[in-house]
Amino acid sequence: MERTRTKDTAAEVITRSQAAKAAERTGGVLVKQARHAGRAVLLFLDTCAQLRNTGRVMPQLVRQIEMAGFGSIVVLALIAGLTGMIMAMQTGFELSKMGLQGNLGAIIGATFLREMGPIWCAIIILARVGAAIAAELGTMVVNEEVDALRVMSINPVRYLVLPRILALVISMPLLTAIADFVGLAGGAIVSQAMFDVTIAKFKESAVLLLNGPDFWYGVFKSGVFACIIGTIACDRGLNTSDGAEGVGRATTSTVVMAVVFVLVSDFVLNAFIQAVLRPIFG
Amino acid sequence: MADALTPRHRWGSTELELAAMPASPPEGRETLIRIRDLHRRFGPRHILRGVSLDVYKGETLVILGGSGSGKTTLLRHLMAMLRPEEGRITVRGLGAGGGDLDMAQASEQQIESYRRNLGVVFQGAALLNSLTVLENVGLPLIEVDRLPVDQVRSRVVEALRRVYLPAEEILNLKPAALSGGMRKRVGIARAIIQKPRIILYDEPTTGLDPVTVNGVNELTLDLQQKIGVTSIVITHDIGAAFMIADRIALLYKGRIVACGSKDETRANEHPVLQQMLTGSTTGPLTEGYAK
Ligand SMILES: Nc1ncnc2c1ncn2[C@@H]1O[C@H](COP(=O)(O)OP(=O)(O)O)[C@@H](O)[C@H]1O
Ligand SMILES: [Mg+2]
Repeated sequence: MERTRTKDTAAEVITRSQAAKAAERTGGVLVKQARHAGRAVLLFLDTCAQLRNTGRVMPQLVRQIEMAGFGSIVVLALIAGLTGMIMAMQTGFELSKMGLQGNLGAIIGATFLREMGPIWCAIIILARVGAAIAAELGTMVVNEEVDALRVMSINPVRYLVLPRILALVISMPLLTAIADFVGLAGGAIVSQAMFDVTIAKFKESAVLLLNGPDFWYGVFKSGVFACIIGTIACDRGLNTSDGAEGVGRATTSTVVMAVVFVLVSDFVLNAFIQAVLRPIFG
Repeated sequence: MADALTPRHRWGSTELELAAMPASPPEGRETLIRIRDLHRRFGPRHILRGVSLDVYKGETLVILGGSGSGKTTLLRHLMAMLRPEEGRITVRGLGAGGGDLDMAQASEQQIESYRRNLGVVFQGAALLNSLTVLENVGLPLIEVDRLPVDQVRSRVVEALRRVYLPAEEILNLKPAALSGGMRKRVGIARAIIQKPRIILYDEPTTGLDPVTVNGVNELTLDLQQKIGVTSIVITHDIGAAFMIADRIALLYKGRIVACGSKDETRANEHPVLQQMLTGSTTGPLTEGYAK
């Protein structure tokens, strides 16, 4: 009897202290993340201030676009195409029950131009390129290469960060356009093969959207995603500490934080588009 | 019985850590860099605990210290990557208008112009992997001085010759294609390309094979004699220290506990120095280690 009570109390104490610790840890993490976010914003502003030096980083810029942009086309097209096909199949089944499969083009078009294109592009780029940027810059920090640049009076923001963020801002909207196109094509193929919706009919249904501003809203969003991914990756990479282990941490946290911030900003941007841009551009 | 006579027992820990105060420079020497009571904390860890040291113009000063003793931290202060939180570093004649530079108060511009006089050889050479040897060595000329390509090339070739590398053969190679010793030399070539007045070396011989170590040491001496710079070399290699130094300082527990010429260093009875000289496993450096 006595023993059981003692045990209970001990268990309670442990639980309580663990809860306290967990709360403390959560608070600590939040504070740290807020500080990181602030630091990243400053880095982004610093990069904007370096834009006047774009001419001087042309070789790096070209190399980064090649790596980030061209290297991602195939995998992005594959994923976008498959998604378009899967979506056409899933929605097609339901729509054809009601005889509405003629609207597949409009539905797939809307989904891709507004969300799927920019988001898939962001996911692929942050996993492929964002992680690589963080790892590369992190390794450079650990090897004192960034210190070497600073000692030679070469501004790391100009020399390393500007070309990387700029390369993403240039290539991601283009990649988004490609994803939109391939996704629609995939959807059109499945619509024709499975639901007897001709390509012409699919196009006709999608054309309303294609002519509207939705395509440009999606492209605009992907430009913002590019800034977010590039800034987070560069910030995490440049603030790497603790050697190889730190590089791993920088890479992982880049991917996690970039996903979160891309989705949060997607939500905010959609609200902005609805409230501000649609009344003007339709 | 013999153990009772080892310095460990004659020297108390306060004596071991007592800072050696810089002497006034000998006849004909002037102080270039003056470090006084420099402290640095990383969180709760007190790494530099009052470093005081003078570096004379034109000398090669070797700073010895065990790994983790704060050698690189001290060097990063001299590169102005870290500014003094407590204590002072002044550099004679490299401040605004030819005055003294006070590292704690200098503006970014002053620091930048100070760094123009500085060449740094980093521990792992710190070459950029995506660039060729030509671009790496010529980086400050390309990015900062913005010289035309042919001028960059001829200055790079000259710098590579100076460090005894076959310039024509390696100009277009990436660092990954070079051996460790060659990379280190390329790093030295990059450090001297802007004709600095001060060269800082961070463990220039660590991780190299004995023949390459000698090569790098000779190179340090050679550069010293040919271009007459002030060199500060940080190392835990006491052999290298005696080979290249004019003076040797010992960093221990965050302070300079001994500093003097080679002869003075040999004669110094400080147990840490003695342990380093003899390579003994018993002594203050290995205090607390299991035998
Ligand atoms: N930026 C930093 N943040 C936290 N601790 C650091 C930092 N730089 C160095 N240290 C710590 O200071 C100590 C001395 O480091 P360092 O100067 O690199 O030693 P050494 O070059 O003599 O081997 C080490 O224990 C290291 O962990
Ligand atoms: Mg070190």
